[in-house]
Amino acid sequence: MNEPTRVWMRPPWGRGEPKEVDATPDVLTPLMISGWAQCEPPTNEQEVTTDVHD
Amino acid sequence: MSTTRLQEVLVCFGKKKQADIATAQVAADMWRFSKLNAALANPKLATENDAEEYGKGHEFPTATFKTAWDVGATLEKYLSAEIGAWAVAFGLGKVVKSGAGPYVYTCTPLMPAAGDAAELPYLSYVEQIRPGGGVVLDRQAVGLAVEGFQITVGSGPGRANSKISVELVGSGKVIDSATGITMPAATTEKLLPSASLTLSINGVDYVTNKNIVSLETGWKNNIRMDAGFFPGSGFQTAGDGSTGAIRGRLEFGNRVGNLKFVARFMNGSDEYTKLKAQTTGTAVVTLAYDANNSLQLTWQQVTYSVVEIAETDQILTVAVECLPMYHVTNGILTAVGKTVVDAICS
Repeated sequence: MNEPTRVWMRPPWGRGEPKEVDATPDVLTPLMISGWAQCEPPTNEQEVTTDVHD
Repeated sequence: MSTTRLQEVLVCFGKKKQADIATAQVAADMWRFSKLNAALANPKLATENDAEEYGKGHEFPTATFKTAWDVGATLEKYLSAEIGAWAVAFGLGKVVKSGAGPYVYTCTPLMPAAGDAAELPYLSYVEQIRPGGGVVLDRQAVGLAVEGFQITVGSGPGRANSKISVELVGSGKVIDSATGITMPAATTEKLLPSASLTLSINGVDYVTNKNIVSLETGWKNNIRMDAGFFPGSGFQTAGDGSTGAIRGRLEFGNRVGNLKFVARFMNGSDEYTKLKAQTTGTAVVTLAYDANNSLQLTWQQVTYSVVEIAETDQILTVAVECLPMYHVTNGILTAVGKTVVDAICS
């Protein structure tokens, strides 16, 4: 049996972090009707903070 | 002069969605289909005159005024995976695409209470007859939305036993000549025939039981057409108030789904019992071409509103009308279109 495809979803009203879920109707439907929408995967770039005290 | 046969009409429309209601699509974002119905997307201009105004000395009109534009279209087609996925994506409005070919489009109705838009995705609709040399017709309606779709499945061997009708309503904005659109190649469709149906309603598998005769299911958005004309909604020619107003938005109204079916009535048929008990359950309608091309509609909670015992070709049957209801967790309708075509409603 194939692994289900996964998609990224962002929460309603822009509040909270995106999450990756199985792209099955059983998983997607409750999210979609409660305001979650598909989004691009978050970028994996790590923030670089320079030490301003140097 | 040669006459023009209506079979010459070429139709393409948005596979992707428009950037906004007023921005016409380019050919690369559209796809071309054949259709079964003859109706054309004729723009309609509403006019007024000054007959009833005082100060002219008589009751006759002396001037006319272009007030507003309207345009819409209806597509009737044999049901295919491509048009099915397109209809549920544009008709319901909320889409999640998954897969890398085939692509799976999981679609649900927009829920403004949860932060979703109140406007459906917009698309352009182009009609051409003899494009290039000897143009007879070349026009593009801009800013259309799906008012509703209706799927019918019947008994019999022909393609006509699995059809879809899609109604489109528009902003009224029209490019009525020289659209600049080069008609795309015709889309190769994977038909979803009646013989592929699987159907489970309220706990009964009507296909395994071999007793389904026909079914019809669909969705209507009841778009608020008059509300599209608001102060500032715009004109056919931007900035020219003499050219007639167009709609600046198409918001859905009180949406409603429908599902009805006819099945053979026999010992153990429990539709009337379920009507009396107002039993609720899911209804799952699936049609498929193959593993990569299908359409599935899941009504998350239905109950029976009408059950009538009658006959079809002198066989005792029961005609059932279902009331699609909102399920607290899963909403009202989930439609899943699977096709090898990418970027539908993107």
